[in-house]
Amino acid sequence: MSSKKITLKSSDGETLEVEVAIAVQSQTIKHMIEDDCADGGIPLPNVTSKILAKVIEYCKKHVENSKKEDSIEEEDELKEWECNFLQVDQQILCDLIHAANYLNIKSLLDLTCRRVADMIKGKTPEEIRRTFNIKNDFTPEEEEEVRRENKWALE
Amino acid sequence: MECHESVGRTWKDIDTDILVKIFESFNIFELTSGIAHVCRTWRLACSDPMLWKTLDLTLLESNYIKIPLEPYVYVDRLSDQTLTRVLKIALSLSRGNVHTLIFHLNLYLPDHLLTYTAERSPQLRRLVLPAWNRIKKTGIRKAICTWKNLESMTMPSIKNPPYLMETIARNCKNFSELKIMGPCDIHCASTLRLYLPKLKVLSLRCSTLSKEALIIILDGLRHLEVLNISHCILVETSQLHRNIVTELDESILRKASRLRQFLTCMDESCIMCQRTRNDEGLMRWYKYEKGLWKEDEVSSLAL
Repeated sequence: MSSKKITLKSSDGETLEVEVAIAVQSQTIKHMIEDDCADGGIPLPNVTSKILAKVIEYCKKHVENSKKEDSIEEEDELKEWECNFLQVDQQILCDLIHAANYLNIKSLLDLTCRRVADMIKGKTPEEIRRTFNIKNDFTPEEEEEVRRENKWALE
Repeated sequence: MECHESVGRTWKDIDTDILVKIFESFNIFELTSGIAHVCRTWRLACSDPMLWKTLDLTLLESNYIKIPLEPYVYVDRLSDQTLTRVLKIALSLSRGNVHTLIFHLNLYLPDHLLTYTAERSPQLRRLVLPAWNRIKKTGIRKAICTWKNLESMTMPSIKNPPYLMETIARNCKNFSELKIMGPCDIHCASTLRLYLPKLKVLSLRCSTLSKEALIIILDGLRHLEVLNISHCILVETSQLHRNIVTELDESILRKASRLRQFLTCMDESCIMCQRTRNDEGLMRWYKYEKGLWKEDEVSSLAL
């Protein structure tokens, strides 16, 4: 049985051939196919080839998994796989979230958001800034508000 | 960090929608722990109305001991400090968008914090009140005057309901749903009939309910659609003694037939009925499973 393939074009000009069953894990791609906009490949200007490859890897794993029987071993194996999948640096994690959002892949978005939530919880603002490489860009007025809120923590 | 071409997105300019989605999984402690102090984008996301439509403070309980003098509890300072900090930051970030406010039954909220909260939640529609002990008449009156859009209230029972019901009647034109966690006697029922005749939903579950009060409610609240008296101990007071009524008679059932939903449970084998009986009609919720007090057979009142 031949599996239909579709061509996806990343922002940096590379093309990736993917089975339709895997590609439609993305609601965005699914709608484009349904609306007949897929001739000649689907352009994805917001996703680089590197990130696209990761996303497809995720979708492939999920399609494979849905074909297997539900069991505790399968669940554990999937969790471990997802954990390894997310062993990436900050920038890639950031790009993955944006890609999952843009491509509308709910399970990947939930997974990456959960991961980020866990990285945030328990940290002070300074620690969060360091983890995510964020600069403190508050205006003097906002800084004053922040200072006021911090005072409440000490009262 | 490896060099890799991205499409220009960093954590600093992450989509607010995505940040809000991440923050949605945070509890009240995590939301007020400093994520609003990271940078401008994050602070903006922390104030998103979606995060504050419901302000759930049920993780905050008071650390207290019982004392023989008013207000009959002594709350330790650290407990109050934590409450103050979390409440102030939450209300600051909520920017007045709170529609539902939920306190834990075992929180002994000081009067001044009630006032502070009311001033910063003018859009409030649904309120789940904490223990009354440290709240003064003036405090709750002032608060209700601020909450003009109040529609639903869950409260522990109070000895003298008239001033409270009158304040609600005068200020909250859309008020239609009430849950009293505690006994409802004739005085209480008469107060409801007098001040809240337009009440649509009433829950009195798991408490002592006087039969006479039930009749006053059924006769007097002509707009009532839903009445929940599940697991209540129904008592009939006559000249000589108190009888526990084990079955609802024809006349009551007839009166209740006009209701859309009449929820009852008077089953000796029901664990909740047994508990109400053991606690003599005033449920000591702290004895039972965490969160049990949040349940209600009426879906709009369940937490």
